[in-house]
Amino acid sequence: MAAIEDLVGELSKLPGIGRKTAQRLTYHLLQQPRERMNRLARVLDTVAERVASCPECGNFCEGERCAICSDSRRDGSVLCVVEEASAVGQVERSTTYKGRYLVLGGRLSPLEGVGPEQLRIGLLRHRVGAGEVREVILATNPSLEGEATATFVHQLLAGMGVRVSRLARGLPVGGDLEYIDGVTLSHALEARQEVP
Amino acid sequence: MNVQQVHATGFRNIGRLELDLPREGAIFLGPNGQGKTNLLEAIYYPVLFRSLRSARDTELIRHGESGFRVRLDLTDPTGPRSIEAGFLAAGRRKRVAVDGAEPARMNDALGVWLAVAFLPSDVALISGGASERRQFLDRALALSDPRYLRNLRHYRAAIEQRNAALRKGDAPSAAAFDPLVARYGAPVIAARLAWAERCGPAWRDVCATLGEPMAVSFAYRGRPELVDPDAWPAALADARGRDLATAATSVGPHRDDLTLSLGQVPLRVAGSTGQQRTAAIALKLVEWDTLAEASGSPPALLLDDVFAELDRDRQDRLAARLLHTPGCQVLVTAPRPDELPDALHLPVFDVIRGEVTRRTAPRAA
Repeated sequence: MAAIEDLVGELSKLPGIGRKTAQRLTYHLLQQPRERMNRLARVLDTVAERVASCPECGNFCEGERCAICSDSRRDGSVLCVVEEASAVGQVERSTTYKGRYLVLGGRLSPLEGVGPEQLRIGLLRHRVGAGEVREVILATNPSLEGEATATFVHQLLAGMGVRVSRLARGLPVGGDLEYIDGVTLSHALEARQEVP
Repeated sequence: MNVQQVHATGFRNIGRLELDLPREGAIFLGPNGQGKTNLLEAIYYPVLFRSLRSARDTELIRHGESGFRVRLDLTDPTGPRSIEAGFLAAGRRKRVAVDGAEPARMNDALGVWLAVAFLPSDVALISGGASERRQFLDRALALSDPRYLRNLRHYRAAIEQRNAALRKGDAPSAAAFDPLVARYGAPVIAARLAWAERCGPAWRDVCATLGEPMAVSFAYRGRPELVDPDAWPAALADARGRDLATAATSVGPHRDDLTLSLGQVPLRVAGSTGQQRTAAIALKLVEWDTLAEASGSPPALLLDDVFAELDRDRQDRLAARLLHTPGCQVLVTAPRPDELPDALHLPVFDVIRGEVTRRTAPRAA
């Protein structure tokens, strides 16, 4: 049936969902009361209608600006650069960060056709160039591409008069040395700190 | 460590095989095309979880079957162990098990079962291009040290990204991968140089043991200064113009080579067929030493038609060397018994149409 096939096709385009899972989800939805299907469709429609990228940081927002950019209590002198909007929530969970964000919208990956022009590099340059930012914290993922993105941003900001820092990599709180892999341990050794 | 039992189904022309292998090794005899090399390929599969002959997994499936499975029951000083690999064409799913349990990552199963294989095509180690020798080095070092494998994988990924940026003429993006290329490339070069320094004399000695009267030597050809990650920025900066023009990274271990010489002349040029074959076999025996030293346990030797093209003296010397490699299980194939040196006393199996049976009569019968 074409309608069912359409839904399976759309669902299987989502990350982490293969065709079999898409079929399972489709048949699950078909067994739900019609009102539930309608509600899902309405929610999707509303999200598409209302949610946009914040023009100041690239995070998702429903108004003109996102809640963080609108919050005057946030420290505008510190800018945390992340790959995706989902990372903003992760950094917020730390509860200690009070600065602002810039969401690049991806990571440098020439193999996948992602170069600087596919990322919000212009917006980053604009934010830093405006003068308020004193420190940029690079919070890209510790993957190969995340690290290259951090290097790229670092090189971009050289000479712009801002301090550039990178999130530390090392031992997780509550972890056990016995279970830490060698690479993480060597990063932790490199980034060791003197006991105050 | 050696194989006590081979269980294989649907692999190449092997339909179903349950084979007990003697601890010291075996000789597999049979006409061409009967499955002798397939048997060695099946036994080698759980070393790297890929084909010894660089075939795709789908190509290893026996005609008409949905997949293949290989399980080796191993004897180890610590007790019985097993390693298993299966592949299903549907979904191209590969499954690996060590001692009956699936490891978290396939990498965790590397190094459990170690063997060194020689195929007639391995003479390309001497006569072929640099990539053959890099592959040889990378396999020996990756199986000896998981850190080498990790660095090599990251290095290759960083080079691929850098080259993709170079192809687009995007120099800033290419430069963003430079520190990663340096971080992972430096230890790869360091490990290869250390290996070459340690194993050069060993290779020379093995060549002499196998009957090579002329002086042979090898040297790692690359840029030794790049063992220091701090030496990379200048090297990459120097090469940037050329790299952008050719859309490829021209500096690093992916361009290095192992230069093998007979006297002062490259073995590739000066060596006869028999000399090149001797040199290639010697490299494999050095690989065996490398893996034995790293793992603390003698790997198996899988030798496909290894005695062909060697004169009688070299055949006898190789047989003596094989029989005097302590603890090593030696599995040898040959089309005919008269192609094997008399000194090679190992139990004999016949391989006919993918079926393997142990002979009770003497080899020459």
